[in-house]
Amino acid sequence: MKDKLRSILTVCKNKIKTGSRSLIASAGFKSVISSLLCIAAGILVGFVILLILAITSDKIPVSDAFEGIWIILEGPFASGSAQNIAFVLGDMFFEAAPLLLTGLSVAIAFKTGLFNIGAPGQYLMGAMGSVIVALAIPTTPATAFWVWLLALIVGMLCGMLWGLIPGLFKAFLNVNEVIVCIMSNWIAANVVSWVFSENKQFINTQGGKTAYTLPTTANGVSTPKLGLDKLFPGSNIDIGIFLAIFIAIGIYILMNKTTLGYELKACGHNKNAAKYAGMNEKRNIMLSMAIAGGLAALGASFYYLNGGAELAWNTYGKLPDNGFNGIPVALLASNNPIGVIFSSMFLRFIDKGGYNLAGFTAYNEYVSDLIIAVIIYFAGFSMLIKGMLAKIKIKAKEVPVTETSTETVGSDPVTGAEEVADTPIVEEITKEEEDV
Amino acid sequence: MTFLIQQTLVYTIPLMIVALAGVFAERSGIINIALDGIMIFGSFVGAFAVYLMQKENMLADNTQLMFVIAMICAAAAGAVFSLLLSFSAINLKADQTIGGTALNMLAPAITLLIVKIVSMQDRLSMPKALGFIISNPDIGEGLKPFFDKMFISTYIVIALFIILSIFLYKTKYGLRLRACGEHPQAADSVGINVYRMRYLGTTISGALAGMGGYIYIATIASGTAEGTVAGMGFLALAIMIFGNWKPVGIALGSLLFGLLKCIGATYANLDINGDGVCALKELGLPIYFYNIVPYVVVLLVLAFAAGKSRAPKAEGIPYDKGQR
Amino acid sequence: MSDIIREEAVKTECESPYVIEMIGITKEFPGIIANDNITLQLRRGEIHALLGENGAGKSTLMSVLFGLYQPEKGEIRKNGEVVTIKDPNDANALGIGMVHQHFKLVDVFTVLDNIILGVEPNTAGFLRKKQARERVIELSKTYGLNVDPDALVENITVGMQQRTEILKMLYRDNEILIFDEPTAVLTPQEIDELMAVMRGLAKEGKSILFITHKLNEIMAVADRCSVLRKGKYIGTVNIADTTKEELSNMMVGRDVKFVVDKGEPTPGEVVLEIDKMSVRGSHGKKNAVNDVSLKVREGEIVCIAGIDGNGQTEFVHALTGLVRVDSGSIKLLGEDVTAKSIRYRNTHGMSHIPEDRHKHGLVLDYTLEENMVLQRYFEPKFQKGGFIRFDAVREYAEGLIENFDVRSGQGPVTLSRSMSGGNQQKAIVAREMDREHKLLIAVQPTRGLDVGAIEYIHDQIVSSRDKGTAVLLVSLELDEVMSLSDRILVMYEGEIVGELDPKTTTVQELGLYMSGAKRWGREVQKNEG
Repeated sequence: MKDKLRSILTVCKNKIKTGSRSLIASAGFKSVISSLLCIAAGILVGFVILLILAITSDKIPVSDAFEGIWIILEGPFASGSAQNIAFVLGDMFFEAAPLLLTGLSVAIAFKTGLFNIGAPGQYLMGAMGSVIVALAIPTTPATAFWVWLLALIVGMLCGMLWGLIPGLFKAFLNVNEVIVCIMSNWIAANVVSWVFSENKQFINTQGGKTAYTLPTTANGVSTPKLGLDKLFPGSNIDIGIFLAIFIAIGIYILMNKTTLGYELKACGHNKNAAKYAGMNEKRNIMLSMAIAGGLAALGASFYYLNGGAELAWNTYGKLPDNGFNGIPVALLASNNPIGVIFSSMFLRFIDKGGYNLAGFTAYNEYVSDLIIAVIIYFAGFSMLIKGMLAKIKIKAKEVPVTETSTETVGSDPVTGAEEVADTPIVEEITKEEEDV
Repeated sequence: MTFLIQQTLVYTIPLMIVALAGVFAERSGIINIALDGIMIFGSFVGAFAVYLMQKENMLADNTQLMFVIAMICAAAAGAVFSLLLSFSAINLKADQTIGGTALNMLAPAITLLIVKIVSMQDRLSMPKALGFIISNPDIGEGLKPFFDKMFISTYIVIALFIILSIFLYKTKYGLRLRACGEHPQAADSVGINVYRMRYLGTTISGALAGMGGYIYIATIASGTAEGTVAGMGFLALAIMIFGNWKPVGIALGSLLFGLLKCIGATYANLDINGDGVCALKELGLPIYFYNIVPYVVVLLVLAFAAGKSRAPKAEGIPYDKGQR
Repeated sequence: MSDIIREEAVKTECESPYVIEMIGITKEFPGIIANDNITLQLRRGEIHALLGENGAGKSTLMSVLFGLYQPEKGEIRKNGEVVTIKDPNDANALGIGMVHQHFKLVDVFTVLDNIILGVEPNTAGFLRKKQARERVIELSKTYGLNVDPDALVENITVGMQQRTEILKMLYRDNEILIFDEPTAVLTPQEIDELMAVMRGLAKEGKSILFITHKLNEIMAVADRCSVLRKGKYIGTVNIADTTKEELSNMMVGRDVKFVVDKGEPTPGEVVLEIDKMSVRGSHGKKNAVNDVSLKVREGEIVCIAGIDGNGQTEFVHALTGLVRVDSGSIKLLGEDVTAKSIRYRNTHGMSHIPEDRHKHGLVLDYTLEENMVLQRYFEPKFQKGGFIRFDAVREYAEGLIENFDVRSGQGPVTLSRSMSGGNQQKAIVAREMDREHKLLIAVQPTRGLDVGAIEYIHDQIVSSRDKGTAVLLVSLELDEVMSLSDRILVMYEGEIVGELDPKTTTVQELGLYMSGAKRWGREVQKNEG
């Protein structure tokens, strides 16, 4: 009687859920939803902190909290005049490119089971390689493009080389890549400083200051703008952002459609199984670290080959934020290369909101950093969120399966018990049978 | 020589205590990649405490007590801040690397947000930080390396280091904590509350890292809180792995690193045998070379010691009571 | 709280013949009823077997007894009095202790530390190990449980680890002792010893619950037996009044064939020839595999028998290329493959059903179809110009799923992690059987599976043999060894110590070889305690 009632109930439930099931079921959809939830939570917490600051500080009126969170949400669009907005928007795209690439770097490493906290070092090596090539080879208008391309490639190679170091340590000596990455970061910071300190010809001495290298435009080298600077007047925008998006799509294809991606991911998920299957897991570890290094370096190359940005070459005391910020970019995107495009843009968007906030209210630009940090904190729970989303799905499909199993009890040991066991939760029980 | 020992200790002490912080978290089973962030937060709260005390003219005549109070504030702040990590890692079973990364981003953001509102600039200085040094110029030459130009934190940290090592190995709580990092199911099966032990480990870790952060800015980084500890937390993490998750190894590792760091910072006027010749300066190598040496040495040692290091078996794996 | 419970329990002692009763226990999980109205009554001083297949609900029931799960229905009584058990501490306070199938021991701790963990004698928190040590030594003498209290657990034998677990219970004065599949890792002789210890404990007044699926052991040692099947309580019988056949019928719900249907082997050409192979141990002390030579011909099943940890894992890893061989050679179909890569072996006739399906066999985060081409994704059939041909992969996976009856929620796109252990194993078997191969290496192919799946996999292996494949089976299950193989080679401490014919040998004989007491027909003096 009870069973019958339950079966009727589940059939009804099932019919209601069938429509939404396929959509909820898709992993990508779940990731997007959970990322959006994280962002919403981060903004909410950011608002609460703004309120608390306003209430506790006599310098900030409470109304600023409401205005402040709105300014952040508007991002570059709160920059005032249309001209200003265009300028800030252009810079946002320009600055998103390096972030996109370091995010991609961290994401691809994560996908292959490695934590690339060495992106700052790889970024610096890329910057060094590109800047030196762009300044060292004299150009004519005709050759400038080729020098630019060469600078880009050399920068990438420098980063690949640097990424290879933790890869080698991990593959052949089984040394934790995190520690090697951290060490290699500081080594890179000093190597870059050392090289420029010995090669003063690359340093901009104009106005008595020596903190920066010469802009690459000093040698006529810069990333093509293709008229984008007309669209966003005054900003540094160039085609870098489009190339970066192009690369992200390429990486997506590499990881999801090719045999190489299949291998790299297999190594990341389970390196023992990959080895068992005859894949060369040492080569794959090195390869993915090299690719990750190359991507991080490309981020720097795009940034410094723009011509508008100068490299603060004496980097030995501080590592570049763009390197570290690849981590939140990747996490927010659940390590999906396409997701990285959006998450890097989003981070820059909030960033610009932060600067506007500092301009218009008594708060400062660090509010946006705080919001991003909170978002990442919540991103840690994304598995939990996805789990909850998945449960909606399981409930919809699982109960009827149980029905069949209770019917077949005793009839066939293979079909009966095992069919029930095809859902994750039940897997835990079966696993337990083995483990306890 | 005296100078070298003094300076080495200055670098060693914060590294040592923060690496020990890492040990407590990881041996209870929680990967604490947030050491750097916790240091930053602790350094800020410690500096803020000093800022307030100096502003209100409290304890102006007892700078040592002021220093100790700031250390305690920093430790408390670190402990509280680390609860964010514990909560996400233990209760919500979130990825510990992500949680730690979030804390590493949160700490400088909060620090700079408040610092800028308080001081209208990106840094908060402790103007009288130099008053914290204990000078004993009249003490005998032999004792000078250890009692002249020292910070009180040096003695406190060494004492804490010894006490906590004993705690870890000789008390029942230490035994239980280590069991949770190796085999939480085993610990649970004999009635140990794994969650509580992991909270304990991570909170001790937070307190030590917070304290270490304050010690770092007060003794090395010219007494300003500016939302960074120059990657010291990550270095401490490296030293912890280097020291094989054991206090003795960590002490040795941080001494070695401290010495190399100190040589790098002072090589230009380092006169080891007192003959008036600064041998290293004569070599004519740039500062960058000396900066690189400590990192390369750590890498080389790791390369040779590879395979021997052994991380706590259960670290980084969320413990689910329901699944045993 | 738990102390109060205990006091009350002590008061009513001796009123009930049962020391522990679990009455009408029902425990549901979303989508499955793991325990459906189960009753289990344990008498004082008896050895009570709890019989059931993998997945029958034994572990869930024990988890309920230990307070890890709260049942939806039913109650637990101690000496007739209803008790609440909210966590393992409550269970421990009631005197319930358990030796888990996979020992709950901390590898890097000493035996003593493991025994006292959780109930450490201390003054103000500081450990007082001396008195604990004396107590452990005394207990181990009383019950004949020989251990070295100061040895690290990672360095002692499995037998000693089990004794450590028993001492853990005795140290806590537990009176209800639960043994969960305790014999899986032991030799027949060690099993006899354990049985003697269990009888001794029962004689001392301890009540023992013995969880197992091995009928012979139940017949040998238990007083009564309760049977579970698919979460349901089937019944309790007196061992004196029952037979093995009846028990197995109760467990499985139908008659079970105890022997595998297979005809005579028709050995042909030599497929695998190993000559004097040695593999260094991971700790660098002793060779894990020492001077092993053997041949496997087409059309025969050769089984490597032995107790877990005697070099079988290293042997298989060396054979399949996962670890390097230190000396000796491996010939596959006449070709020396000693220095060849894993991929070369995979593509030249070697199939491998690995020991650990989660560690080696599957990428759990890959879908079923992705796992089906784990060693073949690079073949022209499945890729073009470096791009995977997903349609071909899908088609191929669907064929395998169909042919080998692999069941999963969403077919080829099911995440492997979400599949049941039995179907994961079937997927691996399907993949390895379908690949072109002349040699099948199957390591513990039926571990943790229920009877139906075991029969299925055994049939597959036999039919593969009959098609002319050379099969090398590595198994710890004596029943499997005896029923499936055509020849048995026993491995002890990394060496082949004997060759037996399953038709003429006995389990006892096999046990003597497995424990190192016999070598190539000769008795060996044993000097281990």
